[in-house]
Amino acid sequence: MDRKIWLMSPAVFLLLIFCVVPLFIMVYYSFLSDGTGGHWTIQNYMDFFQKDIYLKLTWKTVKMSFYVTVISLLISYPMAYVMVSIIQGGKNILLMAIIVPFWTSQLVRAYSWQNLLRDGGLLEIVLRKLHLIGSGPLGLMFTSTAVIIAMVHIFFPYMVITIYMSLEKVDGALVEASKSLKAGPLTTFRRIVLPLSKPGIISGCILVFVPSLGVFVEPRVLGGTQGTVIGTVIEDQFFEIYGWNFGAAVSFILLAIILLSMAVLSRFAKEEA
Amino acid sequence: MKKRIAGLLVITSMLLVSACGNKSNNEGASSSPAKGETKTLNVVNWKSYGSDDPEVVKEFEEKYNVKVVHQYMASEEELLTRLRTSKEGDIDVILPNASILPVAIGEGLLQPIDTAKLANYSSIYEPFKNIPENAKDGKVYAVPWVWGSTAIAYNPETVKAPIDSVQVFWDEQYKGKIAFRDDFNDAIMTAALALGQDPNHPSDLDAIKKKLIEQKPLNRTYWKTGDEFSKLYAGKMADIGLMWSGQTASMKKEGQNIKYVIPKEGAIGWIDNWAIVKGSKNSDLANQFIDFMIDRKFQESWVNKGGPAPVNKEVGKNLDPAFVEEMGLDEKTIGKLKFIAYHTDEEKRKWNELWLEVKSH
Repeated sequence: MDRKIWLMSPAVFLLLIFCVVPLFIMVYYSFLSDGTGGHWTIQNYMDFFQKDIYLKLTWKTVKMSFYVTVISLLISYPMAYVMVSIIQGGKNILLMAIIVPFWTSQLVRAYSWQNLLRDGGLLEIVLRKLHLIGSGPLGLMFTSTAVIIAMVHIFFPYMVITIYMSLEKVDGALVEASKSLKAGPLTTFRRIVLPLSKPGIISGCILVFVPSLGVFVEPRVLGGTQGTVIGTVIEDQFFEIYGWNFGAAVSFILLAIILLSMAVLSRFAKEEA
Repeated sequence: MKKRIAGLLVITSMLLVSACGNKSNNEGASSSPAKGETKTLNVVNWKSYGSDDPEVVKEFEEKYNVKVVHQYMASEEELLTRLRTSKEGDIDVILPNASILPVAIGEGLLQPIDTAKLANYSSIYEPFKNIPENAKDGKVYAVPWVWGSTAIAYNPETVKAPIDSVQVFWDEQYKGKIAFRDDFNDAIMTAALALGQDPNHPSDLDAIKKKLIEQKPLNRTYWKTGDEFSKLYAGKMADIGLMWSGQTASMKKEGQNIKYVIPKEGAIGWIDNWAIVKGSKNSDLANQFIDFMIDRKFQESWVNKGGPAPVNKEVGKNLDPAFVEEMGLDEKTIGKLKFIAYHTDEEKRKWNELWLEVKSH
């Protein structure tokens, strides 16, 4: 074996101590009954599946994350495509512009959206000046739509960058070969560019969908009375009622959903590959 | 390849930055106690919560020739764990509330306090001396320090009708102008007040759930952190809210036009209490510290700096009478408060689930 593999040991050590071990501690909690002197039980998992409300909130969160992923894809692909094939100079500036919002805290960004979307806010003023809406209030704030808008803004850069990376690797010679074989631009895109950029699309979808499942700040700040998601349940368990055992169980159910969705998406990537 | 690596770096840095977005500020204990002739009093409290003000600490240290060391707590639950696991004599004075007091007293983690040794105890508002969670078998284990209430705050510019009832949260004419609190305890206790049930031990949770679902469409939104409410109110997105007395007072100080009302049905109250840990080697000093904390001088200076409401009734005499009246700093109003009682984990879980059902309805 190559000796250099030992160079990995600090990273492996950190991962073990700060990721794997805590995960097992959480598994332990999730199978523990409440109260002092708890014993082994699967009650925490049973509670989740026996009450409609947890399933309802999970389904709501999955749906919301799905919308966020699809909208992010629709925005990101054309953007990445243009950045790779049309724009010559200034790519780095564009990339920077995408990354800069990441330097602000998520909470601050959620509040900023409040200022834009609220009745009498910037968006309403602009739309009214353009005569796109009447004199009534915008009514966008404190709705699920507002949450999705803010989440797309937060997560779509992951998608742009992964797609950008995979599009950049597409060999120009293949595109030219396709053209020389009389394929129109659409056919070339459909049969050459799209399949080759698929790994980027898949990892982009994973990078957007997975963190979307765990959010709770944006739904609370922008979602109004409809802002409860499964992340809220976990937050409540850990910070409000110290139901660590049930909280851990819900976290693992969420993790299972994440792993499942990743498996499904990777299956897509393998097909036709 | 190079570009790919650069790209990955960019992504990891983005993940890192976004992960750092919500860090909390619960820093650990302060410096270790100094060795020497002076005794050391170990106090556990919230960070920046009155007692650790450098001026206050200095005054007490000079008066009693002692060193005061503050340790900070992150939650009541964590305080209870610390009580259970700390060595005897590690901590002397702590600041628990009703959510853990009966457990701590029941497990023998605290020592009884001889209130006759506290010169200022007699100045405490009468209702605070009879909090069931603070005593056991006729012995007092916790001395109230500061308190507050959760009631109705409204904008007098837009809300013209007089408000004196908690039913305002169910009043159709304020539809879309209300910001109810996103907290299972506040929500259930408020609904119980509206229904005439005992807020601490409601008899009919189904009726409460129905009442809260009825209230839901009237809200502009629910708020969770005080900061959220300030922004809603300042942005004119909400005119009426279920709100804390302390924050209303500070919003007023900042120049907001906001009024606070304790409704005729009563309102939710909370109290922070000092207690002495069993096995403390500095019991006398601990008594002196608590007495100093409930002394008129300290209580007055803190409330004037924007601290929570004082338990010492002498303080009210020196404050602006309008402020005293509105915030309910008098025995009669305090008597109307329903102080949040101790609830078992099972009860909390049930209440939390009920509130989730309302929110996802």
